[in-house]
Amino acid sequence: MIDVQGLTKSFGPRQALAGVDLRVAPGECVVLCGPNGAGKTTLLRILATLARPTSGTVRIAGLDPAQAGADVRQHIGFLSHRTLLYDDLTAEQNLAFYARMYAIPDAPARIDGLLEQVGLTARRHDLVRTYSRGMQQRLAVARAVLHRPPLVLLDEPYTGLDPLAADALTALLTDLTGEGCTLLLTSHNLQTDVTLNRRVVVLNRGRIVYDAPHADAATFPALYRELVQEAGSKTQDAGRKTQEAGSKTQDARRETQEARGKRQGSANERVGESADHQLRSTQHAAPLQNPKSKIQNPKFLRQVWAIVAKDIAAELHTREIFSAMFVFAVLALLIFSFALDLRGALAQAAAPGVLWATIAFAGTLGLSRSMVREQQTGGIEGLLLAPVDRAAIFFGKALGNLTLMLAVEVVLIPLAMVMFNVGLLRGGVLLTALLGTLAYAAVGTLLAAIAVNTRAREVLLPVLLLPLLTPLLIAAVKATAALLEGATWAEIGGWGQILVVYNLIIIAVALLTFGYVIEE
Amino acid sequence: MGQKRLVDRALVGASGVAFLVALGMVFFYAPREATMGEVQRIFYFHVASAWVGFFGFFVTFVGGIGYLATNHRRWDILAFSSAEVGLVYISMTLVTGMLWAKPVWGTYWTWEPRLTISAVQWLLYVAYVMLRGSVLSPEREARFAAVYGIAAFVTVPLSWFAIRWWRTIHPVIVSGEGMALTPKMIHTLLVSVAAFTLVYATLLRQRIALEHARDRLAALRLQDEAAAS
Repeated sequence: MIDVQGLTKSFGPRQALAGVDLRVAPGECVVLCGPNGAGKTTLLRILATLARPTSGTVRIAGLDPAQAGADVRQHIGFLSHRTLLYDDLTAEQNLAFYARMYAIPDAPARIDGLLEQVGLTARRHDLVRTYSRGMQQRLAVARAVLHRPPLVLLDEPYTGLDPLAADALTALLTDLTGEGCTLLLTSHNLQTDVTLNRRVVVLNRGRIVYDAPHADAATFPALYRELVQEAGSKTQDAGRKTQEAGSKTQDARRETQEARGKRQGSANERVGESADHQLRSTQHAAPLQNPKSKIQNPKFLRQVWAIVAKDIAAELHTREIFSAMFVFAVLALLIFSFALDLRGALAQAAAPGVLWATIAFAGTLGLSRSMVREQQTGGIEGLLLAPVDRAAIFFGKALGNLTLMLAVEVVLIPLAMVMFNVGLLRGGVLLTALLGTLAYAAVGTLLAAIAVNTRAREVLLPVLLLPLLTPLLIAAVKATAALLEGATWAEIGGWGQILVVYNLIIIAVALLTFGYVIEE
Repeated sequence: MGQKRLVDRALVGASGVAFLVALGMVFFYAPREATMGEVQRIFYFHVASAWVGFFGFFVTFVGGIGYLATNHRRWDILAFSSAEVGLVYISMTLVTGMLWAKPVWGTYWTWEPRLTISAVQWLLYVAYVMLRGSVLSPEREARFAAVYGIAAFVTVPLSWFAIRWWRTIHPVIVSGEGMALTPKMIHTLLVSVAAFTLVYATLLRQRIALEHARDRLAALRLQDEAAAS
């Protein structure tokens, strides 16, 4: 199922993975151990298609994720450090959203079943932000396996779970292995995972230093410490280290064979045994499809709409972006009015400029918050994991932002009419508002996705956005002013053309580059 | 390494000579402009720095595309080195423009199209430099900067048209009917542009070398840390 060879990953001069070779058979269950910074999460993120390797080859069921990204993603479930859930949606809305992303045909039944399995049926209509950490983790597990993926990657799945929830998770993982799923999970908890009697792989400083089909619970922690310390003190002697690790692997295998005879039954062991069984029975096969999976190829427009609907639903729960944008816009109108002493004819002449400046400032505020909401708990990663075209994510986010901005304008324009005594409710003016706002939402979505990943996210977005918007704002102000003076849309000439051309250019640039912005 | 040093020295020498020649031509070869007088001589620095600044941003645009296409660090280094040097040149354009405007228009600044476009360009690439300093991951920094560099450059023609149609009082030197300059003025301008371009190439090369040195230093530090732990 997984075939990784010579995998390296560097972050600048720092090498996170330094030549990893790993094969995992279909149905196998593997625990990946290692100290902090060993490269476990990086390896999982590369396998989940969230990060690109610097060199080496990765094959998931024989497919290259770089070539067949969407096809591969359809068959991977990933539980990250972050929940990849939307805090401002309910548990049911979160799962329903991802069900749309994966085009799961029996979504309602599947969601009901999973919520029951993770013990969240009673809280299904509550916002995720009201959940405890353990509940969020359980829901995150449900999200990861929602589409019945044949390969499930779990990064520290037991984090934040109480003993009962941990048992429930173990039972869920057992069911998955029973269905033929391949599991690869990382863990720091040596005792618990080793007692599960799984294949254990130890990663240290970006290299695999130990790989044994079964590790003994009693001896493995000491062996692990020895391995990690040894690898740390002998980084320059990679060849010898590999040989030692190899011989330790043989030793561990022998020890484990002995330990297996003494093993006592426990609920947890079911996972390991089931995995063993699967490994033996499916070692020579490489099924990409989970037998129970009924996955269809999601449609582009449905995915776009699902993202828009998700953003609107989140906003309807909180109303925080709309409220902030609207209040900020009113404040801006007031400040411009008294700062420039706008009265009478002067107010009418200044109305287009003041209106567009207000839209620009309020829009920037909303765009920033919208992308923060997406990124807060890793929602954007959840989208990247799904078999979603990057263009669909861009259109979905941009249309969501456009909807919010237009909602504010629906209130703001009549208000500006009253304050400045100008007739803004004209076809041409409204068309200008639509085109200007569309371009603003498009370029704003692209740049908000950049700014949200920076240290100075709160202040950087306007710095990045406003200089780029200069031609748009000039054209919008001049077109609005000409239309208010009685010109028709055809008579405003170049300004209308700039609005249209700006839209075309910026949407093309955003479509071509958005994937680079949102990927790790 | 020896050959690189030789090229560096040749470039520095050529830049110095070209700049001295340009200075000589500006002050001793080019004729005194009849209407504006001596202040017109700033034009040779103003136009040359504007040309090189825009060229620098074009190189940033090309470097950004190269980086996104290949994921190779050398394109990223080229892109942001050129942006930084280009920013210096556009700053020079703004300052020389304002110095010229005061005696000629009676004010340092007016919302004149070319001043405005230069100011917008300056702000765009200040934002580019700020972005580079604010991204946590080096790989993402390169990608984000590449995307911003591309978006910034493609909106320049639109800003140009928007501001030009808005209103203009800036003198038009180059038009469809040719250049409104005497032959000696044209020679001086061309030499100035060549000198400024050579200085740009020298600065760019040094900036790129500095970044490579930083990369080597970071790698050595990591090796040192690994050996110490």
